[in-house]
Amino acid sequence: MSAIDVDLAVNGFITGLFYALMAVGLSLIFGILKIVNFAHGEFYMVGAYAYTLVALALGVPVWVALPFAFLVGAALGWATERTLMRPLYAGYTSWGLMRDEYAVIVTFGLSLFLINLVDKVIGPYAYRGPPLVETSRVVLGPVLISGHRLLAAGIAIAVILATAALIKWSFWGQQIRAVSQNRLGASLAGIDTAKASAIVFMLSGGLAAFAGALLSPVINASPDVGIFPAVKSYIIVVLGGMGSVPGAIVASLLLGVIESFGAVYLSYQYRDAFGLILLMLFLLFRPQGLFGEKGREV
Amino acid sequence: MANFSRRGALRAGLATAAALALTAGAQAADPIKVGVTITQSPPGSVVQGTQVKDGLDVAAKIINDAGGVDGRKIELVIEDTQGLPEKARAAVEKLITRDKVVAITGEHQSSAALAGIEVAHRYKIPYINTNGWSDVIREKGYPEVFNPGNYNSRVGSAAAATMKELGAKRVLSFAENTDYGIGLAKAIGEALKKIAPDIEYKYETLDRASKDFLPAILPLRANPPDAIINLMLPPAAYIMMNQVYEQGVAPSAKTWLYDGSGLADYPDFWQNVKEAGKGMLVFGLYHPKMAQPPLGKEVGDAYTAKTKNEPNRLLFQAADSLFLIADAIKRAKSTEPEAIIKALGETKYTGTRGEITFAKDKGFAFNQWLEVPYVTFQMTEVNQKVGDSALVSQPGQPIDKSKLWKPAK
Repeated sequence: MSAIDVDLAVNGFITGLFYALMAVGLSLIFGILKIVNFAHGEFYMVGAYAYTLVALALGVPVWVALPFAFLVGAALGWATERTLMRPLYAGYTSWGLMRDEYAVIVTFGLSLFLINLVDKVIGPYAYRGPPLVETSRVVLGPVLISGHRLLAAGIAIAVILATAALIKWSFWGQQIRAVSQNRLGASLAGIDTAKASAIVFMLSGGLAAFAGALLSPVINASPDVGIFPAVKSYIIVVLGGMGSVPGAIVASLLLGVIESFGAVYLSYQYRDAFGLILLMLFLLFRPQGLFGEKGREV
Repeated sequence: MANFSRRGALRAGLATAAALALTAGAQAADPIKVGVTITQSPPGSVVQGTQVKDGLDVAAKIINDAGGVDGRKIELVIEDTQGLPEKARAAVEKLITRDKVVAITGEHQSSAALAGIEVAHRYKIPYINTNGWSDVIREKGYPEVFNPGNYNSRVGSAAAATMKELGAKRVLSFAENTDYGIGLAKAIGEALKKIAPDIEYKYETLDRASKDFLPAILPLRANPPDAIINLMLPPAAYIMMNQVYEQGVAPSAKTWLYDGSGLADYPDFWQNVKEAGKGMLVFGLYHPKMAQPPLGKEVGDAYTAKTKNEPNRLLFQAADSLFLIADAIKRAKSTEPEAIIKALGETKYTGTRGEITFAKDKGFAFNQWLEVPYVTFQMTEVNQKVGDSALVSQPGQPIDKSKLWKPAK
């Protein structure tokens, strides 16, 4: 393996980790509500601004600003669920009565609203978040990486593992999984499905905002900063298997590495098309995705 | 009967005269509507849109405070295009058919301008292209479209001349995937072929919505070029610059970073790039140390008083766009589109940046002010104001190499 290949593999893996932070939340929402949240990228954008502005304007230390951004995202997720998503499953009795088109319209509208709100209130200018460490270059063998990017990758691994553990072993994680498997069955078993939905939206919003905050020194917060990562997340969620958290993580890493190598050895121009090509191949030959299960409705 | 007729005719004459006087009075009071298309919301460059709007507002105030155009005030009717061609097309259509504007101006993105001029051409309404650099806008040869702003061939020649003077052997451009970016990257290539055919040149197209350019940058580490030219707009340009810097590629002892997009006078420039901007060479359409006509000073001072910001190139380009429309209406003594277009074609007007005339040659020079003044300057410190940067070449002069700074590593 040449030096450039090691560089590409490491860079692709790190990019995949950042994709995963975004995609896991989106996957959780799909798992429990069977909807795609088109405002997911804007949760990311809000997190980037929350971290950057609190740290720059108020002088709050970055290690306080980072969890603060998570809380802002979680609060936004909770507010979104309570005010906009509840009508989706109010009076719900079976999957067939879910008003999917409502979710598409309302989350798309929320996305446009948040982009334009930030544009008008904070302004169109980009803001670069303060890095977690000031070291601009770290040499690791053949790999040259910024100190912030390296540290952010480590934090991303920790957060992804913590989220996976939370879903797998915690009391609320088990309830979320139950609702995800069968909402009606879970409610008959006494699980508060509305509360589970609210927790999922909070977690999803928090994770997206955390990703935005963590990456704000790299991506520079601007009103439309969330659009691109959100598109990647939609692709990843399908590749990983709709609603599968492990699938979303594996698909994120896979996409990050494929894009990294493909951009150098195939064509940089088509870098963003690789994910779409993969998506088409999966839809043709393995529509359930990497970790999804084949479903059938009667 | 004859008596009645005379009296009637007299009354009718008086009534007509009174009506005409009233109408003339009303016309004199009616503002002259000028349509403006700019980006006020994403995904286009809202920063540019804001700067253009500021320039037009300042110019409109100067014109109106001086009594307007033949006693009529200028009224700006603004439409947001979001930088999208389809929205620009719809905006121009609406401004012409519903708002009845006499001319259109303000556009600052080539893709949007290319869409907008098609509509202006169809309705034969004068269109002053404020900042669309793409040569294709001129190559269309539309008689309604006038270009007092910069153009790709001009930047191409300037960048090529600078690369030659720097002694570069290998040059790489990072261009955004728009008409502007790709057009400019090609224009530099054409200019290099003419004046420095020995320079090995290539360009890489980057998605302006992307946030990670490392796959395009990593291969450069092993064998960096002598110069990297930025042909991207913010915020993507800032991200690319930071990643090029973090990888130790440029600015470095080996590689120059040359900005062909006028980034340095964006108000958010330093906050977003910090160390990555130190050492950057800039193709500049404005520098406080440049000689300017008195109108330029007046516009710059009015802008600073209004916004507390330093003037920037788009401010002057936008102001000139409106001054030219006002000047053409005054000389034409009419707001009829045909008369304004004719007057614009005969323009000889000293605006904020110099004496503006429009060439008539075919191709990129059509209806173009060819002698748009430019300089080269270098940012030698982090957070440096443009006015404090090193002016390494004056308009029309070669680079003074003794003023250049390069990092030790």
